[in-house]
Amino acid sequence: MSSITRRRLLAGTAGIATAAAVGLPAFGQGAAPQPKRGGTLTGTWGGFEPQALFVPPGGGSSPYFTSTKIHERLLTLDNDLNFVPVLALEVTPSEDFRSYRVKLRPNVKWHDGKPLTADDIVFNALQYWKPLSAGIALKALVGAEAVDATTALLKFNAPLPEFFLKSVLAGKAGLVIPKHVYEGRDILTNPANNAPIGTGPFKFKEWVRGSHVELLRNEDYWDAPRPYLDRLVIRWWRDPASRSAAFEAGQLDLGVFNPTPAPDIKRLTDTGRFTATTLGYDNSSWVSTIEFNSRRDIVKRPDVRKAINLAIDRQFIADTIFFGRAKPAAGPIPSTNRVFFDPALKPYPFDLAQAGKLLDAAGFPKKRGGRFKVNLVAAGWFEENVKLGQYVRQALEDLDIEVDLAIPDRATSFKRIYTDYEYDIALSNNSGTVELVPEWTRFVTTDNIIKGGAFRNATGHSDPKLDDIVARLSAEVSPDKRVALAREFQANLATSLPWTALVEIQSTTIARADVRGHSLTADFLGDSWAGVWLDR
Amino acid sequence: MVFSFLRRFARNRAALVGLLLILIVIAAAIAAPFLFPRNPLRIVGRPEIWPFLTWRHPLGTDSLGRDIAAIIAHGARTTFMIGLLASLTATLIGVTVGALAAYVGGWVDEVLMRIAELFQTIPNIIFILTIVSILGQTILNITIAVGIVTWTPIARLTRAEFLSLREREFVQACRAIGTTDLKIIVREILPNALPPVVILSSLVVASAILFESAVSFLGLGDPNVASWGGLIGDGRTLIRTSWYICAVPGVAIMLTVLALNLVGDGLNDALNPRLKT
Repeated sequence: MSSITRRRLLAGTAGIATAAAVGLPAFGQGAAPQPKRGGTLTGTWGGFEPQALFVPPGGGSSPYFTSTKIHERLLTLDNDLNFVPVLALEVTPSEDFRSYRVKLRPNVKWHDGKPLTADDIVFNALQYWKPLSAGIALKALVGAEAVDATTALLKFNAPLPEFFLKSVLAGKAGLVIPKHVYEGRDILTNPANNAPIGTGPFKFKEWVRGSHVELLRNEDYWDAPRPYLDRLVIRWWRDPASRSAAFEAGQLDLGVFNPTPAPDIKRLTDTGRFTATTLGYDNSSWVSTIEFNSRRDIVKRPDVRKAINLAIDRQFIADTIFFGRAKPAAGPIPSTNRVFFDPALKPYPFDLAQAGKLLDAAGFPKKRGGRFKVNLVAAGWFEENVKLGQYVRQALEDLDIEVDLAIPDRATSFKRIYTDYEYDIALSNNSGTVELVPEWTRFVTTDNIIKGGAFRNATGHSDPKLDDIVARLSAEVSPDKRVALAREFQANLATSLPWTALVEIQSTTIARADVRGHSLTADFLGDSWAGVWLDR
Repeated sequence: MVFSFLRRFARNRAALVGLLLILIVIAAAIAAPFLFPRNPLRIVGRPEIWPFLTWRHPLGTDSLGRDIAAIIAHGARTTFMIGLLASLTATLIGVTVGALAAYVGGWVDEVLMRIAELFQTIPNIIFILTIVSILGQTILNITIAVGIVTWTPIARLTRAEFLSLREREFVQACRAIGTTDLKIIVREILPNALPPVVILSSLVVASAILFESAVSFLGLGDPNVASWGGLIGDGRTLIRTSWYICAVPGVAIMLTVLALNLVGDGLNDALNPRLKT
């Protein structure tokens, strides 16, 4: 079973698409000369209904998926990892990188007809982004002011890297909400969270709980003639297999983030009625990680960690457990991160003999009852982790390590790994942006050893050198130097190995063959879908 | 006595078929370590080999490449161990509670029956999942959890039997000659109350197997032990393409539970005094 590459998927899709679709951008605007207006599209994602349509502090992928069709951001990141303007025409740093000028797009209106102004940006920066959504990422923000109706100034108490700030503004935390709706009342409990008023291509119409939310075309959208759809229905299914059935029954047009069971993808695309792509996930890459508890005497040793990494067949995990929809990882930072990933890093080879020698040398010879015993916890929030846990147990047993495997449910997994630290080796996951701070660095820095902090430093790893690299990475404004620091960060982790990745998971979008203009940004789940159209 | 019991049991042909099926499953459970000496959860081949294609894996392999035949054989051990132990737990609790409630009566009866009702009002599967997620996902905890939720029907049945028996002449005769309560309960009433309880216990074995399958199917089973329900849970995502991964253990569970019910019917025929000829 070989892994399905982007290029091959694209080529396959181009073949399926109309004769006008020539060359690579099969999903692009260039795929067909003239986007068609009209029609209703039913979309979903590979998860459940959200707790609220918009959850101001975040609330996970589900509310993020629905709210981003209504609320927009200043910038977005395209598939070539360039920031492109959305509500902002430009975001420019001052010479000392201590303030940024946000020039807004003129004539943008909220869904209730009021204009978007610089006051909205000031409100968002001070009342929403800093205290609620971005948290520590914007701790350097000290002030914001409106220079004129469409220009705002953000001020920081330390130099802030441009890529970092733009990443926050284009990220999950950067949604722009209306000041006139949210000012003066608690943002968290505002009723508008379930009937959001935004600037986006779609207006909220109705949410039928337990079923779907219906969104209508915003006739006054700033980016005419977009959006192309008359109506967007987001519907939720509880089970991946029923999403496959919905696709086949014609009830579902577009599903993001692994809507169906992996083995069904080939079955669906083989019919020619559906296409699959792994594009559109670079700014929310998922990896499957292995964490070694630094509080435990045996697995805190880098040589033991290295031996264990050598004993795990990453290609088998990618091919069999993820059905080819993953690739062996060289380190915690995925190779799809073309800005910061260090191409010199290679995935660990599968070499059981070498691993055995390392353990012999480390003072753990083969003996009756095993070299030593470990508690292995595989986090039960993904179905693949069940199989992954069982495979890793066997891999360790082949190395003569006794293994006690536990695959707890979601809540218990959080508790065991991130609160009680009750494991020797944990199999977990991470999803993060292209920018490394803080979504990737928070797994290993000393200030992130926070009991109960999910996806923080659970291993207890503490290395002043590494902390220093991250501190410099956070404050460095030169893009080239940041890349160099990011490589230092990866090299440091490659030797101490408190936390690394086994495979990079390739998320998949499935669409009916006549859905066009999708998967064009680096986080398509959180894209506004203004460019999506139906070739019917 | 034993002979006539067997004769009455054998008159029910369906019960004989059930018994035969159970004997086959028991034989598989006993033979598992000899037929498949390696750990059944080991990956031994290519994933998703269909059944009956190769002698090396007669029932095929699952999505990871583990031998389904080995999992079925070793799973039979797990299944029977859980079934029997859970049934034993439930019967012990049930008979004790039922006997005490009926024999002592009064406020003891009231309290014990209210407790039983409390247990009955909680949906079984939710109660089991709660216990397992609190105590931890080990095979022993699952067994205990199943025992804890299935004792109430046994308690009620025992209580009813005891109520009808405790005023009979032979019990009163024992009281008259000064036999202790414990002796009356254990030696006089219990043997007479037991036959219907045994039938119910055999059915608890069947429901214990189903509960364990459901728990494993939901991913809360013991990942260190091969089990039929766990195999179904693993194969669920492949149901459209490699449906046999679910079907093979599914058929095994269906046949075993059916067999236990048939045997229960046979026991009913053999033990029920009203059906004696």
